[in-house]
Amino acid sequence: MSSGTGTERFHTAAWRISMWAGAAFACGTLLVFISLHRFVADDIQRRSDAWLTGEVQVLSDVAEETPRDRRYSAVVSEVAELASREVPNRLRSSSPTNDSVFFLQTDEQGHVELWVGAGDGGTFLQAIRAARWQSDVPADIRVQGSGVPFRVASVSTEDGAHIYLGLSERDELHVLRSLRMRFIAIGAIIVGFGFLIVFAATWRMLRQVQHITAAASRIGQSDIRTRVPVSGRHDEIGLLSTTLNGMLDRIESAMHQLHTITDSVAHDLRSPLTAVRGKLELALASDVDSEAGEQIVSAIEELDRLNRVLTTSLDVAEADANALRLRCEPVELGAVVQSLVELYEPSMAERNLRISLRREALVYALVDPALLHRLIANLLDNEMKHIPTGSHVSVLVQGLEGQAAMVWEDDGPGFGEEVRAQLFEARAKGSRSAGYGLGLAFVHAVTRAQGGTVMASNRPEGGARLVVTLPLAHGPQSSAPLRDVILA
Amino acid sequence: MRVLLIEDEAEIQDFLSRSLTEAGYELDVAPDAATGERLALAQPHDALIVDLGLPDMDGIALILRLRRLGVSCPVLILSARRSVDDRVRGLEQGGDDYLVKPFALAELLARLRNLLRRSIQPPPETTRLRVRDLELDLLRREVHLSGETLDLTHQEFALLEYLCRNAGRVVTRSMILEEVWGMKFQPETNVVDVHIYRLRGKLDTPEREPMIRTLRGVGYVFRDRD
Repeated sequence: MSSGTGTERFHTAAWRISMWAGAAFACGTLLVFISLHRFVADDIQRRSDAWLTGEVQVLSDVAEETPRDRRYSAVVSEVAELASREVPNRLRSSSPTNDSVFFLQTDEQGHVELWVGAGDGGTFLQAIRAARWQSDVPADIRVQGSGVPFRVASVSTEDGAHIYLGLSERDELHVLRSLRMRFIAIGAIIVGFGFLIVFAATWRMLRQVQHITAAASRIGQSDIRTRVPVSGRHDEIGLLSTTLNGMLDRIESAMHQLHTITDSVAHDLRSPLTAVRGKLELALASDVDSEAGEQIVSAIEELDRLNRVLTTSLDVAEADANALRLRCEPVELGAVVQSLVELYEPSMAERNLRISLRREALVYALVDPALLHRLIANLLDNEMKHIPTGSHVSVLVQGLEGQAAMVWEDDGPGFGEEVRAQLFEARAKGSRSAGYGLGLAFVHAVTRAQGGTVMASNRPEGGARLVVTLPLAHGPQSSAPLRDVILA
Repeated sequence: MRVLLIEDEAEIQDFLSRSLTEAGYELDVAPDAATGERLALAQPHDALIVDLGLPDMDGIALILRLRRLGVSCPVLILSARRSVDDRVRGLEQGGDDYLVKPFALAELLARLRNLLRRSIQPPPETTRLRVRDLELDLLRREVHLSGETLDLTHQEFALLEYLCRNAGRVVTRSMILEEVWGMKFQPETNVVDVHIYRLRGKLDTPEREPMIRTLRGVGYVFRDRD
């Protein structure tokens, strides 16, 4: 009962549960990451801001204290250059020059007075002006031509000049990017593992449920002695199995009781029947041609009829209680119907009844062969008893909606209104005293017990119609085309 | 031929003893499994007839026990049970036979005879059957009566073949149904009789006695001599 194909697996509850669990894992890890990312990003910014504010102050002190002579720019540049080397956790840059820090000093008119850094100081100044920012708090500046923004701190000197110190955010972004990459990898692993573990656990659990279902359906079909597997654990599923098995125990004992009763009824009646029949036969042997002989023969025939009624009644009783002992196997329905039709055809012809059989395909039904023989014989006996001479019976064997079907139609009088409601009850009899008796009750009970259905109706053009369906045998050739066979 | 009958019902035991003795068998009778076992081991028998519902032991258990003790003769199982036990099916496959109560005496005798014949030698594979002036060619599926070819359907041929193979012996309707049509049930209507009538119509001529004799309440005999 394990799901064999891949597509079936996607329709299992285990798959659905695992999908939801995977989604939950993904959401959870995403939330954790977002807060972690924010925390790390804030922390890095706080550190670089602290460094920038401190350094820009130092640089402004140096700028103020250094005399404005020829060596002024060399000294300030040197200090700025040194500061750039103190950038915390700085990565080795791809270019040999310093491109992660810049120092910019403007004069009172706002012109570039001193520029230390890569590129042109003018563009940086423009970008700083465009940002229209003036507070002492460091801010992000985007510079044209540079891929990453700069974090810039500024300080004004007493002479109205401005000193800017910028730190490229390249390193910060790099740290955050590698953090994201790691997160994606770790997140994928967590979600993957979570999915697999949940899938494995639910699959295992649901397989037990599946075993239980399989066992229960097997039991439903025939084998009442089987029990559903019980896991050692005392969890919900263990409890389910135990409860189910307890229920099966009770059903089995009820069935066993019914079997005991029907068996002992059969035994208690059959033994004296055997003795009586045997004695009658012995008497017949010595008295074969007299009038007494005739009576003995008719007594023997009555006994056989009694025995048939007994057997059929017990079968109907067991079938109605779903306690029929079945030995189902794949049987080609058309072939069985054909050999029975051939068996009955001379008797029907004798009564001036015609019968034709049409087999649309080879139809393999999963049935008890002996019961199927009796079922079809009952249908034929029933036709012979209930339709007037000159009538025609047609039988069609076909695969119908995943079932093996026999369609019996005749052009007789059809079922009387008062009979139809209780057609399949044992001993229902029509106004025409012949009655349907046990025959159709047997057909109905035995078909149902084998997992099939019987439907009776009257044809609009007159006559009765019985549709008997039986479960198809699952096999490679459960229905294959066949040429029509017409009999009689 | 010595047969051991193990059956607890006195009435059944009684008429079976009478008819088996009349049929010419030497008979030992046991009313229970213990006596049956003792008798079976005391001297060899050609066949056993065992009822499954014995008072002291299950019939199948007794048969299996006797088999283990070296009793190898064929067994005819009698049962009033409704379902056929798997073990009975096993025995059936092993060459034993099974008869449901109530049975026709003729059928019991016929089955017993078959069992005994099978245990002595398997029937020779013949391609031709001859009974008096009737000749069946089993390969070409042709029938000749006094040199004239008869036109039979395949069912009629199968029925005639079965009757000829058992010529001179009683065959019952249920035996015919089982052997010719492969079905184990008793139909409510006289379907087998009508097949016999049809066959008779093709075989018989007004100037001679019918070849198939009806034993009313019992079955049919195909006459093997005039």
